[in-house]
Amino acid sequence: MKNHKLFSILLSAILFFLLVPSASFSQDYYVYVAAESEDEVHLIHLDGKTNKAKIAKTIQVGRYPTETDGPHGINISLDGEYWFLSIAHGNPYGMLAKYKTGTDELVATTDLGMFPASMEISKSTGLLYVVNFNLHGDMVPSTVSVVDPDYMEVITDIKTGIMPHGSRITDDGTKQYHVSMMTDELYEINTAGLNVNRTLSLKKNAMKMDGMEDHSDDSKEHKENHEKHMKDGTHEEHSNKENEMKEDHSGHDMDGMKKDSGMKMMHAKPEVKPTWADPHPTKPLVYVAGNGSDEIIEIDTEKWAVTRRFKSGKAPYNLEVSHDGKILVASYKGEGATGIFDLESGKEIAKVKNSRKVTHGVAISSDNRYAFLSVEGIGGEPGSVDIIDLRTNERIAVVETGKQAGGIVFWKQVAP
Amino acid sequence: MKKINSITKLVGIAVLTVVLLAVNSKAQDKKIVFDTEMLSLKLNEETKISAKVVDADGNTTQDSLVFFTRNRRSLIVTPDGNVKAIQSGKFSIIARTLTANRADRISATLAVDVAYPPVKSVTFLNAPENFYNTTTISLETKVVDEAGVTRDNVDVKLSSSNPDVASIDAFGNLKAHKKGSFTITAKAENKSATWKFKVSENPIASMDISHNYDGKTIRTGDVVTFEAIAKTSKGDAVKDAPIKYTYIAEPDDNLGQGASAQIAQSGKFVASDPGLFTIVATSGDKSTTTTIKAVPRNVQRPLTLVGKGIVSHTRTSDLWVWEGVDGRDYALTGTWGGNGEAIFWDVTDPSKITPIDTVVVDARTVNDVKVSEDGKVAVITREGASDRKNGIIILDVTNPRDVKIHSEYTQDLTGGVHNTFIYDNHVYAVNNGRKYDIINIDDPKNPKTVGVFELDTPSHSIHDVWIQDGIAYSSNWSDGIVAVDIGSNASADLPGAGGSPENPVQLGSYAYPSGWNHAAFPFKSESTGDFYVLGGDEAFPYGLNTEGANRAAGWIHFVKFDDWDSPAEVARYQVPEAGTHNYWVEGDILYVAMYNGGLRVVDISGELMGDLYDQGREIASFYPSDSEAYIPNATFTWGPQPYKGYIFLSDWNSGIWALKLGESTSQGTN
Repeated sequence: MKNHKLFSILLSAILFFLLVPSASFSQDYYVYVAAESEDEVHLIHLDGKTNKAKIAKTIQVGRYPTETDGPHGINISLDGEYWFLSIAHGNPYGMLAKYKTGTDELVATTDLGMFPASMEISKSTGLLYVVNFNLHGDMVPSTVSVVDPDYMEVITDIKTGIMPHGSRITDDGTKQYHVSMMTDELYEINTAGLNVNRTLSLKKNAMKMDGMEDHSDDSKEHKENHEKHMKDGTHEEHSNKENEMKEDHSGHDMDGMKKDSGMKMMHAKPEVKPTWADPHPTKPLVYVAGNGSDEIIEIDTEKWAVTRRFKSGKAPYNLEVSHDGKILVASYKGEGATGIFDLESGKEIAKVKNSRKVTHGVAISSDNRYAFLSVEGIGGEPGSVDIIDLRTNERIAVVETGKQAGGIVFWKQVAP
Repeated sequence: MKKINSITKLVGIAVLTVVLLAVNSKAQDKKIVFDTEMLSLKLNEETKISAKVVDADGNTTQDSLVFFTRNRRSLIVTPDGNVKAIQSGKFSIIARTLTANRADRISATLAVDVAYPPVKSVTFLNAPENFYNTTTISLETKVVDEAGVTRDNVDVKLSSSNPDVASIDAFGNLKAHKKGSFTITAKAENKSATWKFKVSENPIASMDISHNYDGKTIRTGDVVTFEAIAKTSKGDAVKDAPIKYTYIAEPDDNLGQGASAQIAQSGKFVASDPGLFTIVATSGDKSTTTTIKAVPRNVQRPLTLVGKGIVSHTRTSDLWVWEGVDGRDYALTGTWGGNGEAIFWDVTDPSKITPIDTVVVDARTVNDVKVSEDGKVAVITREGASDRKNGIIILDVTNPRDVKIHSEYTQDLTGGVHNTFIYDNHVYAVNNGRKYDIINIDDPKNPKTVGVFELDTPSHSIHDVWIQDGIAYSSNWSDGIVAVDIGSNASADLPGAGGSPENPVQLGSYAYPSGWNHAAFPFKSESTGDFYVLGGDEAFPYGLNTEGANRAAGWIHFVKFDDWDSPAEVARYQVPEAGTHNYWVEGDILYVAMYNGGLRVVDISGELMGDLYDQGREIASFYPSDSEAYIPNATFTWGPQPYKGYIFLSDWNSGIWALKLGESTSQGTN
């Protein structure tokens, strides 16, 4: 035990010694961005000295050269040795692909559910949590696939809401947050227990729903929601097929597996349409992009309640809290712009026009100096990575990418 | 200063390495111990496993564990150790510690043996009424286990009670040696079946053989049906005499020639190479032979380039050629991975293919294009729309020089429409890779969905649909070809089942092991009247080549449907080093796009058997490429359409092409 402590102190000292001087002189920044309609991933390099950025490398990804496989979510392993990519389309399931950083060689793949999207690895468990967005499927509950990133095997699929998106994990690695876009809910997953801890309705007149152990169809939460809809009459809006809840079989069509009975249930028309969740690095707060309500929603995870709502630009889609927890950067998908919020005041301190329409993802450099925004573009025009200097809140570079730039992740910051 | 920094960093890294190694070795001192050394389960049995982490001293640590398996289709394993066996076989379960650092992580594997259910029964399938001395028959057995599954992985031991009378080998070949009684026992595990029988006197005194090409020229690829008849000394036919067929080949080319023909035990024979073939029919100790000569098929015809419309700014996808309401001829091509364009061409003079209009929609790929039979309405598919709603665009093409948009339709089609077909004022839109929606376009400005067809098989997916005589033939990857009655009419080759667009009714299906079924095309052979559905593959089994040109694989499967319940795959067309994409049949000629293998024109007349490529049935080939193309000087052919004596084709790299198939200068087809 004593030895272990000594190692920890020594390790911390060495890391401090190594990293602090590097940070003060770092000038080269690297991000990976996926071009969803090009089946490419680009490694973007920004020279922090000249503010000039370019594509350092392009990696072809996918399975079929003559089908658009749709790389969507991307993230980096905790040690930076690998990057992981969700491939949204398949026959019918998508997959997770693992690449070696630096060489960018494909290491392994594993099948996931329908339209897998955003993901992150827990600092507590070392496991990867990826949401099966099921973007184009029936309006049915989907899953979060939990993957061992070494074995590249799915350990379990945790049942969640309809069209889950925005998988982000607390700094201590113990809680994963994502949103259920079509039920206006925030989900909290216990990363070690591999279960849903609780859900929270993000609607303005929401009821608090905590202490929930399992989000199964016949759960208390569903029943309450159902009763609520029946009472306020919202069920009448949802008599069409889209709102019939059935069990999603994403990734589970295995002989002999028990499946739920496919209970049909009405859901209210989503108001918030949340698309992303990101926990604060130090405080018990989670921020959610209200894509349908044009707002950023702050949730206090101790109170398990919405504490603030910030008016945002049109259709915020992804967001990221800076590593020092001071600001929040949100992509405004609906207006091709980026919003920058001061988290203390909750005010949008800057809105930066993007180089083209359909702003998608956000990644902030580890020194909080730059925000990298992926912008999809429309039709045949290239996508882009727009780079904003967070000291001036001005766009300082644009790198054109393959079509429909989407998933984006900051890789590293190094001295030249 | 920089130098000092470098030195200190190197020292730091060295120390860090030592520390990490120490931590790692600490982790390696631990190990995971399962509560059992091996797990043995019965099928469908459930159990709970546990494991613990112990340190070098054997003390249990507080590390958390999760369990999982790499055999998810065979075992259900929950992270906390609940296990259910859903398939028999040998598998494994992995336990690993939950740690962030890879160096701290340890794992262990537990072997799992899921026993097959015991054999319930073994039965003989083809015991004959008579077994004549000196003859040989093939005995077949069937093994069923207690789960009701027919098993082919059980060792069936066959033995004869009297080998001097009748002996049997490990493959089920039962040979009669002399008159007498015997019993054959088939034993599988602890179940057995017996067949008591006798060898009777062989009445066969002689054999005759004939075939259905008597007096006719036999070409390579022609399926010749031989019929051998065993006769008594009085000349009566012994109808139940077992007859085996084989052949001796003397091909014209003996320069390292490989197998040059094949023969089925039904007596059907086809030569791949020209030469002499002696067919041998035997029954017991009697045999007969006949020799035939197969000549080269000589179906090659000249294929001439007539015109081309080069698309140099994007990839080209599918095409459709039709006669416009003004009597001129037009073509519509889609684009792939571009700006959502559909390009209209005047092809009245195929030597002057001229672009006349372009419709641009919010999409990256317009994968498929179709035009209604009356030439007034077109449908183009959308994928990669910026609002992710995709769907279809219905166009007014009465004036292809000034195409108008009737409507955009996205309801339930947001997953992207990959392929489509227009039939009887309905659009069949294959979408989300899972289903096709049936959309009424009586009023093309106000389309409405009236029906949906979706399989309910596990992991089902779909790629394309083609409709003929009110029957939809969809291609469904691992679920294969699926025929659905959506309003079958009297012209249909096989009976319908009262389906309609509002009520599509499945008629039959045929799947094959590779799961590569990408296209389906029905055709009735003009020369034989046989009804086939061609299943076309799309496959890239060598993976995505990130360094150069991709290499496709797959072939055309000829599936003969005599009825909906008993389809039989009888032939294939497989080009080595290339793979199939879209294709079309007209007048007993197959036109098939082979990606890097260009266009192939294939004679599919007459009865079909074996690999048509080997039989010299290829009439012509063409490799479109152009220096001005989007991908210059490279062939990647997408799809053909024969039209008014020309062959139009789209090429992914280069655009639209028109070819003319010349007249044969030799023997021609049937």
